[in-house]
Amino acid sequence: MIPLQLWWAGVSQRHANANSLIAIIPISIAALPVYYFLQSRPEVDFHFALFLIIGSVVGAYAGARLLNRIPEREVTLIVAAVLLIVGLKEVISP
Amino acid sequence: MTWSDGLAILGGLAAGILSGFIGIGGGTAFVPIMTVGFRFNQALAQGTSLAAIIPTAIVGGVTHVREGNVLLGPALWMGGGGVVGAIMGALLAAHVPGMILARVWGAFLVLTAFRLVQDALKKAKDAKGRAPKAS
Repeated sequence: MIPLQLWWAGVSQRHANANSLIAIIPISIAALPVYYFLQSRPEVDFHFALFLIIGSVVGAYAGARLLNRIPEREVTLIVAAVLLIVGLKEVISP
Repeated sequence: MTWSDGLAILGGLAAGILSGFIGIGGGTAFVPIMTVGFRFNQALAQGTSLAAIIPTAIVGGVTHVREGNVLLGPALWMGGGGVVGAIMGALLAAHVPGMILARVWGAFLVLTAFRLVQDALKKAKDAKGRAPKAS
């Protein structure tokens, strides 16, 4: 979603990151029941998710506050670095 | 609480910071923690990441709205389109081998990363060109 906004809609990096996070909310809500109800067995571990959430909500608040404190160009380079690492991992060892 | 639960909290914290800062979802931030760090199978990691990303994205999203970073109209349109895309993606995933999907997705991310670096360098060059010369 981030590259679509940057290159097709001409949105700034800052807005693209924030918009993307808002858009993830309905997408995740729609996809969760598919993994829980429509598989041969429920593919959701709520116990593990709970502990991830305890850390991640604190992290998400800190990350969102951080975005306005780092220059746009550096934000773009950090996004590129994360995409590169995850992309290479998926290509080499999917 | 076990060591594993503690590590999950730390992993969640790292994934949450990335998610709030970059605006990425569970597929990129949470799934590798579970598949690589905790040996979850791919489907269980993806399903669990969806459960974790909902409150994470709500907290990060509300913070972004308060910080003035969100264009609410486009974000909601994109979310609506994403719901349709997610359903189509789930149907496609049932017919295409997971390894091929992961490699195509990975290649797309790598190409996107290169294009982003190119853009950032070009912007820096343009900014340098416009800066007034020191006398």
